[in-house]
Amino acid sequence: MKWYEVISTIDRRIIYVLLTVLVILPFFTRVTIPQNIMPQTQRLFDFIESVPPNDKAVIMTFDYSPQTMPECHPMAKALLKHCFARNIPVIGVSFDPQGPGLAVDAITSVVDRINHYATSKEDSLVYGKDYVYLGWKSGRIAAMLDMGESIAGVFPRDYFGTSVDSFPLMQRIRNYKEVAIAIVLSAAAYPDDWIRYPQTRYGVNIGAGLTAVMAPKYYPFLQTGQIAGMMSGMKGAAEYEKLVLEHGYARELGTAETGMNSQSMIHILIIVFILLGNIGYFFSRRQK
Amino acid sequence: MKRIIPLFICLLIGFSMIIQFFIPHPTSLEFGSTIYKWVIVLIVFALVLAIGNLIRHHGTKIRRQKKDWPYSIVTLSSMIGMAIIGLFWGIQAESLFQKIYLNVFAPLSATMFALLAYYMASAAYRAFRARSLEATLLLAAAFIVMIGFMPFGQYIHPRFPAFAEWVMRVPNMASQRGILLGVAFGAIATALKIILGIERAWLGGKE
Amino acid sequence: MLAILPPTDLQAIDKPNDAGSSVNLSWKLSSDDSMIDGYVILRRLVSDTTYHEIGLTGRGVSFFEDEGTQDGQEYVYIVASVKNSRLFTSEPSNNATSYPQVFHTGRINVLLCIALFTAFLGYFVSQARTGKELFIRRIPGLAAVDEAVGRATEMGKPILYVPGLGDIDWTATIASMNILGEVAKKIALYDTPLIVPNRWSVTYTVSKEVVKEAFVTEGRPDKFKEDYVRYLTEAQFGFAAAVNGIMMRERPATNFFIGRFWAESLIIAETGAQTGAFQIAGSDSVLQLPFFVTACDYTLIGEELYAASAYLSREPLLLGSLTAQDYGKIIVLVILFGFTLFSFFNINLLALLEVQ
Repeated sequence: MKWYEVISTIDRRIIYVLLTVLVILPFFTRVTIPQNIMPQTQRLFDFIESVPPNDKAVIMTFDYSPQTMPECHPMAKALLKHCFARNIPVIGVSFDPQGPGLAVDAITSVVDRINHYATSKEDSLVYGKDYVYLGWKSGRIAAMLDMGESIAGVFPRDYFGTSVDSFPLMQRIRNYKEVAIAIVLSAAAYPDDWIRYPQTRYGVNIGAGLTAVMAPKYYPFLQTGQIAGMMSGMKGAAEYEKLVLEHGYARELGTAETGMNSQSMIHILIIVFILLGNIGYFFSRRQK
Repeated sequence: MKRIIPLFICLLIGFSMIIQFFIPHPTSLEFGSTIYKWVIVLIVFALVLAIGNLIRHHGTKIRRQKKDWPYSIVTLSSMIGMAIIGLFWGIQAESLFQKIYLNVFAPLSATMFALLAYYMASAAYRAFRARSLEATLLLAAAFIVMIGFMPFGQYIHPRFPAFAEWVMRVPNMASQRGILLGVAFGAIATALKIILGIERAWLGGKE
Repeated sequence: MLAILPPTDLQAIDKPNDAGSSVNLSWKLSSDDSMIDGYVILRRLVSDTTYHEIGLTGRGVSFFEDEGTQDGQEYVYIVASVKNSRLFTSEPSNNATSYPQVFHTGRINVLLCIALFTAFLGYFVSQARTGKELFIRRIPGLAAVDEAVGRATEMGKPILYVPGLGDIDWTATIASMNILGEVAKKIALYDTPLIVPNRWSVTYTVSKEVVKEAFVTEGRPDKFKEDYVRYLTEAQFGFAAAVNGIMMRERPATNFFIGRFWAESLIIAETGAQTGAFQIAGSDSVLQLPFFVTACDYTLIGEELYAASAYLSREPLLLGSLTAQDYGKIIVLVILFGFTLFSFFNINLLALLEVQ
């Protein structure tokens, strides 16, 4: 067998083994492929930067499921780190029944880490004062509209069963008037409804963190400003992590960075194999 | 008769639903929702038939010990097991049903989904060869988009990522819309042909 | 504190094209819009004297939909600018009454298109009935169906036909059922086993009937086996795993993947390619077509899927409907071209299309 025949008929199992190795490798080594920041991510970051501390709240909707966790979970964590570092209160909600488990995980892991390094009582985060998680509500559209009148009316109790009125944060933040932005984290077309209903009626700012498959649909909304900023897929999450780290709001990068390294490695692998296949094909045709 | 009755029902319901679309009156909306409820009821009956088929197929396989019959035991016992657990112990958040769903079913689904990465690599290697002009164009577009969306795309040229996005947004979108236009007409024509009884292959062809 | 200006020009009208119980309000923003907290909407029955608060909007919003009216009752509204809980109210609106409509005027364009298209369909189908020869271009994927069936027969292996993962309410699934009928007729003539796995209970019952009827039409009802059409599971990747299992164990010589597909498309098509099967795919899912094109021998792209049953059966009535589709497309293209041309001269005709 000639060399060009070999490279144009590589057994698929070899490709599979190499792919597996390259996916796993970045988890154990510290290769960092630098991320460029896409404009939509920068816009979301800048928006949060412009929110004054200890004033209006940020609503985060945890509407993703375990399947899309690798993309959306790091987005949630990076956003939480950013808000908490800037003393912006966060209200978490879910309209997807698969959201709460992941929401609690994201919030507790970020809060625990911040409180672990907190040197004083003022530095540590307090549930009900700095953040709340209100849990899941059915009837998504009706609920998101009613929150414009009264958030506590839609969520009388939080996820853990405590009366929402008892939280100092929720006494201050009553409806969308005291909300700087609502950021939708999802793998579905949920931002559509946020734009169509609460934004039209209450003028709420909308941000988004979406899976890479969903994101292209929302570029037109970014152009019109209906979406203030957006993270697109794992790359968007990695970019946000980088921004948060560069501004000193976090101690290290999150999991999206590692995930992106794996993803980039695979892209390179695929490109190399396509090149090999074509070189082989080219020479074998010339021989004929 | 065996053909005429289904064709008539199809015509009647098909046209009623088209008319219903143009009438926003509550009576019309109620009619629509009644029809949808009927659909749900019919689906349940069909489900009985479908599960019957599943049990019969695998039951026969086990009884006759046909090739690969142990897999059939796995299928049947999983189905019956999950049904019993759900029926008797509930499906709330902390239930055994949910635990199996989250710890067995979800990872298995994710694994199947993850195979996509492997298959994409092997399919791309096999298919992206510059065999003809069209294939070469496909190859070039694939390269531009892949490199442009990678973090180091910007080092080739600062505007390279923007170019990759343009390829996705303009030529790619244009061809997609072209296909979608054809699809839309095809779908409308198929629907009308079925409602009007011109298309009868779904009933097994001509009389 | 200085007085804040209220919003002006408050208009109330019955919400058009709805089932009643809604009144649309619109107003001109207060000149102090940037300073206020938002607007409060108040309502009373004309027969009543006191206003009740019915809703709020943010600042910069000049529209509200009151979805809680009783049809036939007359209402009057006021809107107030709110600043630090103080209200600065507008003049009362005109009286408004909500009622349900019997025709959705916003959908006239849809009605016209359906009527026009049905007329085309009727005309070309009647033309076809008179025996006029209609041209249909060669579709390679469908021309290969005979070869695909023949190949499986020669090899003595089964044929796999996956009618997609969409339920019967996807038009692509219905189109797939039509193709299945034609393919099953060809299969009925040979002794080749057929496997039709289904994801939904309704598609299962339909595809079973389709295959059975095809065998009856070809005069071979005895050849049909209950086992040909199977129900698998509703779980998307469970279904993909099961289809992969069938392909690996039963090694079909020919695979058809025709209908609606999602992320599992490449998973099943690539497995089929690895088993060395001859593969014909067809889908209207634009995102999945590239996967099928790379992994299958032939792919029916978009509308070819819908043309397939006419192509395979060569029934003049069905061929007539294809001509109607072509004319429909010509009209749409003319409109698109016209609008594009006008937009070059800065004439925006889109306003004419302000319907659904």
